[in-house]
Amino acid sequence: MDDPVFWRTMRLTLEVSLVTTAILLLLGVPLGWVLAHKRFWGKRVLESIVLLPLTLPPTVLGFYLLLLLGQNGPIAQTFGFTWAFRFEGLVVGSVLFSLPFALNGYREAFRSLDLDLIQTARTLGAGWRRVWLEVILPITWPGILSGSILAFAHTLGEFGVVLMVGGSIPGKTQMVSIYIYDQVQALQFGRAAEASAILLLASFALVYLVRTLEDVWRSRMPSSTR
Amino acid sequence: MEIAYALEHPVKLKLNLHVQGFTVLLGESGVGKTSLLKALAGLIPATGQPFAGLRAEERPVGYLPQHFALFPHLRAWQNVAFPLAHLPAAQRKQKALAYLEQMGIAELAERFPRQMSGGQQQRVALARALAREPQILLLDEPTSALDMATREEVFGGVLERLKSLQIPTLVASHDQWLAQRAHQVAVLTRRGLVQQGPADEVFTRPATLEVARLVGFRNLFEGRVRGLEGDWAWVESPLGVFQVARPDWSMLGQKVWLGLRSEEVFTLDGPQNRVQGRVRRLSWQGLRLRGQLEVGGAVLDFLLPRYKQAQLGLAEGQQLEVALEPRFLHLMPS
Repeated sequence: MDDPVFWRTMRLTLEVSLVTTAILLLLGVPLGWVLAHKRFWGKRVLESIVLLPLTLPPTVLGFYLLLLLGQNGPIAQTFGFTWAFRFEGLVVGSVLFSLPFALNGYREAFRSLDLDLIQTARTLGAGWRRVWLEVILPITWPGILSGSILAFAHTLGEFGVVLMVGGSIPGKTQMVSIYIYDQVQALQFGRAAEASAILLLASFALVYLVRTLEDVWRSRMPSSTR
Repeated sequence: MEIAYALEHPVKLKLNLHVQGFTVLLGESGVGKTSLLKALAGLIPATGQPFAGLRAEERPVGYLPQHFALFPHLRAWQNVAFPLAHLPAAQRKQKALAYLEQMGIAELAERFPRQMSGGQQQRVALARALAREPQILLLDEPTSALDMATREEVFGGVLERLKSLQIPTLVASHDQWLAQRAHQVAVLTRRGLVQQGPADEVFTRPATLEVARLVGFRNLFEGRVRGLEGDWAWVESPLGVFQVARPDWSMLGQKVWLGLRSEEVFTLDGPQNRVQGRVRRLSWQGLRLRGQLEVGGAVLDFLLPRYKQAQLGLAEGQQLEVALEPRFLHLMPS
């Protein structure tokens, strides 16, 4: 691949994906725990909202985000900043769009955790900090990691949301999938093919990693909860 | 240790319980045995003494759930070292190994839980609970995850060790085998705690019909007190009139329940309390023969040791006369 624009685009895409994944980890782990183990009023509504990006057309989500984050949007008017067509806007869109992928992984990991382990850990003198660091995370990390990798891979290939929120400013807000689309529009099939092959390989490698982690995870579960 | 607890959820329960040595809280499922243990461990909200107002991690209890809850990612010794976090690293392992030694499984120290049998996991979990240096041990159905056939072999040793520890131990169970081996038995029903006392007392002299059923009385008959004299009462029942040890509450003409354990039907060849009937439904239960004696419209369930059957050679359909030991017939208020 000889196009310097592609490599800048790739770099931006990786940066957006990494930041998105990190934010999802901070946001999604507590949320996944709450959805897996707490009962509260309006839980089903919350679950439906966070799963909505699975079925909602990305352009619809992107459109609403554009209204929210744009120049005349409520955020700009209240706080005085505009995230549309910027890196931050791409990240906000990606976080919302990949949330269900990360969350499903986290929630399943927490759901299959035997709560007796947590209760017993507390009776053995462990406060919540130790319970999380020495019991919950060491047992559920493969599930958390696989949710994060899926979200990362999903963000890599995002199109609709980032096109709406970010526009397609080369080097600034253009992501790889949009780059490929632009190359095809410009009849540069060679570049489109190379970029597509790179994304294909990356996606396969990531999904393969997720499958491997799932097997690791299953083998760690004690037989009584399997 | 005296326990006075009240909880609202998931079951409404209020009781005063005396825990001395190895105490079994006997009751059917759903009466709140597990909930009481969890409340004592601080895992569900409750009011009462001891440990009032302390969080779970602050309570000096050794809690063992039904499936032992060993941490699957930690080796046996690391599991036992979990409550020893306040010690320096070198001492932790040493101390953990000492507790494993105490439970007789030092050789399993490096194994992960999935590499151990149920009985071995239980010992590791007990060692871990002991490492907490608890003022009370709370065991939830410790024999239910074990194979019935090997229960005695697997849990017998553990039981002896636990009894020798001098730590008050409260065990929630519906296992009569276990309750018979306890120092104290407390019987919990939907109406609350109905009887507590030494195991032999609860098993031979249940306070109510409900307790009698729970501790394994199969022969329970309605009767009426027809005579009282000295230490004895005469009770009319569907099987006939029997001479029975007289409880201090009994009055002439009173309606009562008459109970007799199946294994105590063939106890006497004397002149008292003779019953004649037809033998039916003989079946071997392990090394003991279970059967029924049909007397008029009533049925007397019995359980014979093998040597006794070798002497008697019982067969279905034959007539048989037995004598019931007056001291083993037990009266309960109706």
